[in-house]
Amino acid sequence: MLSRTAQGLYWMSRYVERAENVARLLDAGRRMEGLPGSDDFAHSEWASIIIAAGCEETFGKDKLEKADRETVTYHLAFDRENPSSIFSCIEAARENARAMRGAITKEVWTAINSTWSEARSKSMEDMAEGKYADFIDWVLAFSFHFRGAVNGTLLRDERLAFINLGKNIERADATARLLDVKYNVLLPRAHEVGQGLDLMQWQQILRASNALLAFRHIYHESTTPPRVVDLLVLNRQFPRSLRFSYEAICNDLREVGLFTRAQRSGLAKAERLLNDLSQLSALEIIDKGLHEWLTEMIVETNQLGIELADAYGFFEPVMADTPDLDELEGTASNSEQLQHQN
Amino acid sequence: MADIFDEMNQQAGIKPAYAELARWIAQTPADQLQHRQAEAEALFRRNGITFAVYGEGGDPERLIPFDLMPRVFTGTEWDMIERGSIQRARALNAFLTDVYGKREFIKAGKIPPRLVDGNPAYEKIMQGFTPAQSIFSHIIGVDLVRTGENEFNVLEDNCRTPSGISYVLQNREVMQRILPQMFRSGQIRPVDHYGEMLASAMESVAPADCDGPPTLAILTPGHFNSAYFEHSFLADIMGIELVEGQDLFVEDDKLFMRTIRGPQRVHVLYRRIDDSFLDPEAFRPDSMLGVPGLMRAYKAGGVTIVNAPGAGVADDKATYVYVPEMIRFFLGEEPIIPNVQTWQCGVEDECKYVLDNLDELVVKEVHGSGGYGMLIGPKSTKAEIAAFAELIRDNPANYIAQPTLALSTVPSLVDEGLAPRHVDLRPFVISGKTTELIPGGLTRVALREGSLVVNSSQGGGVKDTWVLRGESL
Repeated sequence: MLSRTAQGLYWMSRYVERAENVARLLDAGRRMEGLPGSDDFAHSEWASIIIAAGCEETFGKDKLEKADRETVTYHLAFDRENPSSIFSCIEAARENARAMRGAITKEVWTAINSTWSEARSKSMEDMAEGKYADFIDWVLAFSFHFRGAVNGTLLRDERLAFINLGKNIERADATARLLDVKYNVLLPRAHEVGQGLDLMQWQQILRASNALLAFRHIYHESTTPPRVVDLLVLNRQFPRSLRFSYEAICNDLREVGLFTRAQRSGLAKAERLLNDLSQLSALEIIDKGLHEWLTEMIVETNQLGIELADAYGFFEPVMADTPDLDELEGTASNSEQLQHQN
Repeated sequence: MADIFDEMNQQAGIKPAYAELARWIAQTPADQLQHRQAEAEALFRRNGITFAVYGEGGDPERLIPFDLMPRVFTGTEWDMIERGSIQRARALNAFLTDVYGKREFIKAGKIPPRLVDGNPAYEKIMQGFTPAQSIFSHIIGVDLVRTGENEFNVLEDNCRTPSGISYVLQNREVMQRILPQMFRSGQIRPVDHYGEMLASAMESVAPADCDGPPTLAILTPGHFNSAYFEHSFLADIMGIELVEGQDLFVEDDKLFMRTIRGPQRVHVLYRRIDDSFLDPEAFRPDSMLGVPGLMRAYKAGGVTIVNAPGAGVADDKATYVYVPEMIRFFLGEEPIIPNVQTWQCGVEDECKYVLDNLDELVVKEVHGSGGYGMLIGPKSTKAEIAAFAELIRDNPANYIAQPTLALSTVPSLVDEGLAPRHVDLRPFVISGKTTELIPGGLTRVALREGSLVVNSSQGGGVKDTWVLRGESL
């Protein structure tokens, strides 16, 4: 497969996933805003959404203090100047799909193209009070339609593996960010950490991750920060958790194929991160400082993305390995062993 | 203008080849016909068969209008078209091999040297080079017009990167869905082996050092190009990679594509970009679409380019005049399908005749295409004719003139119902180890009443073209 094709499919998929996750962030904002007693802190809630989306630069750091539903929603849903706005993501997904039209099925193309047509006629009016959740649902439905078309119509080959890889890397990044929203939200002084509004905010994070029912199903107990972290970071069954995403990334890479040293080293890095995730407990993460730990994961995931892009030739051509000294020595000792056996 | 020849409705009644179709039309209410037409257009749009038009506002991805009414050729008619088109393609390739080789045609005084050396499509870098199988133009579109039962003429040759084959195949696909009953008798010859035909021609011109099955690829300028759909369609039906310049590089005079596994050699490259963009080292240095070093690799025998650079020297309207002579000179045959009588304004006597008779002639730019920059005398005002005469006087060698042909018509479905509309035909001749073509071609139709211009940029549409095994369905 051409490296450019791999790149196009990977980014098409990442952008669809990003559109979904930005919608989930807006949903978290909407839900926290609706909590009783949070009126005075609305700015910090909406600002935290911008920070979690990684859009402080495009939004304007100086404007964060005055962030509100109107400005944040516009910036994250419609702003053409923001490459991570939902509209920009849908458009970028479509551009990649159009360029890779020959590598995807009609059904996958239609899923993206028809949503793009609809998106062009949407505006802030579609996110007015009372319609906000419908808009979020529309974005999520698009992502589900796209994934369904991908899973239902594409051959199980390296193309599908790159599409899944894009989704899983984006998702690992997004879940870490969504969880980090909580770090930036201020609490009224009267409220203590771990009680009242604090817990309700955690619940809204779960809802935005489609995780509230899963939470009840698994824990049968009240929401506590360690349990939320356990579910969204460490759980092996929840499809948006970091651990789940990293397990999927490792599988995708084996599916894509490992032809060069750089590609094998990409997998090794993903496996190392997965290994860390499988050995940690939620309490250990909280002890390390949740925000600091999440920030590190976001950086690692980002670096992994860059390493993989490099390894599969998104920037410079993939070149066949020249055997290095270690491998040569390895070969030599192997052949010696064989001689001994003879 | 002489009487107009309609291919279906003739003096003796409906031509037998169209009888079955005429019966169906008679039985089908008018609104049903329009409904079927709408159905066909929906299929085209859903399949993404559009051509891109940027910078004009409106929908950037447009459909070429599809006319539900097919055009039908009998086996006998097609036999002549086929032999005539193949003959033409063989002569054009022989001419190109000669022009870039021994130049015997020029030495024999058959064509003025300035029409070769002064031709903007002539590529000096190709002089002295003979491509595999001596084929320069592996895909040639021969534009044919008809004026009577047995009167066909070649209007133009397209030796560079003729487009439209995707419509031929898609038109058929759509017609088979909408009128399946017409195909049951097996009389309509299939066209869906085009991909295999082209792929085996490409394989037959692979470089000599290729010892396994050759790797083929199609080079596109990218998805903003108006013909991108066709490029990806062709890659699909041949099962080969669709590449852009950035996917390719040259090393050791061989061409490689960048894959996730590392470099993969490409043996035969069907390029759908113009000569001047192919290789910034050899042609336009600012080209971002091509591959640096491609021409070096090509001339060293590391890769075959389809169609060869410089093939355009055979297909402009000034060279056209000499094709019948090429057929006699290189093949020792008489042309099966004649040219249209053509006056070259670059020749003094002929120019005088043209200027005196502008109101009856069609005048075209020598290097023009797409139906632009032309004058249709009988359809122009006195002022338009006078203005065009000035252009000719300023630069006579830039123009040729032909009589205004009474192009044949085929009934077409327009808003008012069925009405005769003028058509032309572009069969695609493929040359490799053998020279052949699929039984069919692109029928373009001028959908505006009375219009003779079939180009899609000027209100033209397309029809499915049926070639029958015998004389009727």
